[in-house]
This record gives sequence, structure tokens and C-alpha cells, in this order.
Amino acid sequence: MPRSTFRTKIVTVITICLLLGLWHLGSMLLDAAVILPTPHSTLVSVWKLLQYKPLSLHLLTTIGRALQSFLIIIILGGILGVAAGYNKLVAAALQPVVVLFKATPVMSIILLAFIWFTSGTVPIFSAFLMGFPVMFVQVEQGVHQISSQLLEMATMYRFSQKERLVHLVIPSLAPSFITGAKASLSMVWKVVIAAEVLTVPRYGVGSRLHLAQINLETAEVLAWTLIAILLTAAGDLIFLALLRLPQRIRQLKIKEAV
Amino acid sequence: MRIEKLSKQYQNGSKPLVVFNDFSLSCQEGSITALLGPSGCGKTTLLRLIGDLEKADGGSINKELSEEGPVSYLFQEPRLLPWHSVLTNVELVLRPFMENKSERVQKAMEFIEIVELSDYYRFKPQQLSGGMRQRAAIARAFAFPGRIMLLDEPFQSLDALLRQSLVAAFVKLWSLDKRTTVYITHDLQEAYLISDAIIKLSSKPMGVLKEFQITTDRSLREPADSQFLDLVGQFYAS
Repeated sequence: MPRSTFRTKIVTVITICLLLGLWHLGSMLLDAAVILPTPHSTLVSVWKLLQYKPLSLHLLTTIGRALQSFLIIIILGGILGVAAGYNKLVAAALQPVVVLFKATPVMSIILLAFIWFTSGTVPIFSAFLMGFPVMFVQVEQGVHQISSQLLEMATMYRFSQKERLVHLVIPSLAPSFITGAKASLSMVWKVVIAAEVLTVPRYGVGSRLHLAQINLETAEVLAWTLIAILLTAAGDLIFLALLRLPQRIRQLKIKEAV
Repeated sequence: MRIEKLSKQYQNGSKPLVVFNDFSLSCQEGSITALLGPSGCGKTTLLRLIGDLEKADGGSINKELSEEGPVSYLFQEPRLLPWHSVLTNVELVLRPFMENKSERVQKAMEFIEIVELSDYYRFKPQQLSGGMRQRAAIARAFAFPGRIMLLDEPFQSLDALLRQSLVAAFVKLWSLDKRTTVYITHDLQEAYLISDAIIKLSSKPMGVLKEFQITTDRSLREPADSQFLDLVGQFYAS
């Protein structure tokens, strides 16, 4: 990825300003808050939401659902991915399932799930079905990409099973595990909110989005959307911070040692 | 080590590819034997058979008592673990043989010093040049108490000067602990400087065309001395 410099940052800021300008211009021309409210009234709406008491409840419920789904995805996707990577039979058994999950439209999954489960469970279930193949495929490919040359070296130099695992297999799998987790995490947010919109559980960002929409509170729809975007961004940032944690600790240790 | 009546073939579509058919060779205990032969004649396969990475279809490889046990292998590529430092890469192979960590580190550092990487022991492979990586791999191969050393063109991808210094590092380490070594190369000069015996091989199936013994002391050999020139003449005449 190219490093961001002062100039690239300026370009980014200009783009954001242009988009905001277009939005403002559009809302002025349309002159109908129901169709497109101004950026200003959207911000006011966000401000109102932030002061709105059960906001944290809606946010936490959505976050909780996303995290539950994410956790199940990385555990199951990780374990089954490794199993499929090492065993052709497991891979063959799981392949149709993964293809099915991948090919089914999100909305079909959500609607079907809504027939089977209560509204609170639907987002978790749907997000799992959508995120699982991503994680699974990444980890499975990761197993195939473990260097055969290094494996041979480990055999030659008589690595024990434990050493082989700790020093060769786990470090080789880490990048694909992280890529899979990152991709499924951003997918999970979107699917959880989409499922909440369709099933309208009592609490949840998606439920509020839906209610705001049927009340034709367009500014509020945009405000909740903004909050959803921030949520996804915050999730990504926390994820990155967690990844950097071991490195940070090591750096601190080195500093202490010096 | 005596290799007797070795046979090995691969199934390549309908017709089998015969690599060895009744191949025999003996390598003096505690000496360096260089193998020179056309590409694809099966030299690497021979090393893999000696190193137990593959099984022969027939024949036997009889090792002397001093040659029994693990084997050190120096590959064409360094094959270092990219996420570990030079030190850890070397220290890891000592684990089955030494319980105490500080002893292992000390031992590893000794070898790292001989290959002149002491200033870089904390570096990861990707922070090193190709030559330095291969040095680290040499240190690892010698640190590992393999009773036989197998070298598969380990200096091939490097430029001439670097090769010379790596060959020197190799000879230095080998002189400290003379293990039976089988060494594949394409470079006759390098083979002359390093080995006690040079075997010229033919291909498909592999056979010994001619064997040259070099008895002069290693320290007295020069890259282009008269003995080498003689050898070149004989080697290509045969």
C-alpha cells in the first residue's frame, strides 16, 4: 500500500469536501428534507441520537450480535479450514456447503432465517452464513501455501511435532487467518444490520434504521447510517490495534531491557 | 558410506523414468565427495535418498557407524524460517540435542561467528542479502550434529567473489569437524578446492563415468594451479 503523504491527505480531504458539497447542493436543489436532508440537519440528527437515552443499548446489542457471529466464524472457520487444508475428504465434504453459502443471496438467508428463528437470532445466524466461507477459504488456502521447502527442512532437521507447529505451521497460517478474520468482520457488520432492518428486533441499529425509514425521518436514517459506518470503522481499528499488540509489547520489553 | 545397486524410477505418464539402475558409489568416511553431472541426471534425488527424504525402489545405502544418525542438509535455497532471527534459526536445530537454552545460544553464536554474521544475529532473513542468508544456512547445517552433510549446489546462485568466501567459510567449518560430505556442484574449480574425490556422472540412468582423487592438502590448492589444469584436461577428456 502506498504511504500516505501530506499531498495524498490533502487530496482525500478535497474529495470528502466535494462529496459534502454535492450532497448539500443536491438537497438545496431538491428542497425536500424527506428525500434528501442537508448535511447540517443530518448532523443535528446525529447529535440528537447521541443524546437519546437507549442509544447505547441499540449500539451494544448490534455490537454484541456482530461479535458473537464473528467469534463463531473465526473459531469454526479456523478449525474447519485447517481440517480441510490437511484432509482432502473434509475439503470435499465441506465444498458444497461453502459454495451454497456463497451463492445464496443475503436477503434469502435473512428471510428464511426469520421463518426459523426469533428476530434477535436472525442477524447472528445470517452473518455467520455470510462470513464463514470467507474465513474458511482463506484458512484452507493458507494451509496449502505452507512452504513445502520449509516443511522438508523441518523434517531434515528433526523438528518435533510441537516445534513444527509453533515455529512453522502457526506462523505460516497467521497471515491468512488475519486476512480471513478481517474480511469476515467487515462483512458481519453489514449483514447484522441488514438482518436487523428486515426482522426489526426490539433493539439494534438496524431496527432504528427501519423505524426511521417508515416514519420518513430521512435525516435520522442518514444519522443511523453514519453511526453504522463509524461502528465498522471502529471495529476495524480495534482489530488492527489488537494485531499490533504483541509487537508493541515486544518493543516495550526491548526498551525496558535497554 | 557405500551405495550399492541403487534403483529408483518415477512414473511419468505411461513410461517410467529410470533415474537409477544398479547405481553404486562409495564415499570415504570423513571426506568430501563432489558429484558433477548433467542437469536432471538425478543428483538431487541421490541426496534425498541418502537423507531419507525418499525411499529407493531397490539396493541399499550402507553407512559407517560414525555416519549413523541425523543428516545435515544444505539446500540450493537457504530455507530459513522467515519470521525468526538468524540466531533463532540456528538455535532451533540444536533443541533436540541440548536442554539448556543459554548453552544452545552460545553454541549457535559460535557458528554464526565463524560464518561472520555476528553483527547480524538478530536480523531476520529478509533483512539480509542472499549471500548472508546462505551463510546463516551454512551455520545451521554445521550447528546441527548431522553425521553426514549433504550439499545441493548451495553456492550456485551467488556471484563469484561471494562464492569464494562462502567456500572458504565452508572449508573452515568442515576442517573443525570432518563429517562425511556429499556435495553437488556444476563448478569444477569449486569441487577441486573443496573435495577429496570428484565423481563425473552420466545420466538416465545415472552412472559413474570417472572418479578423480585429489590428495593435495586443501591449504595448498590454488584456483588455477597446475594440478587443477591437469584435472580439467582429464575431466573433459574422459
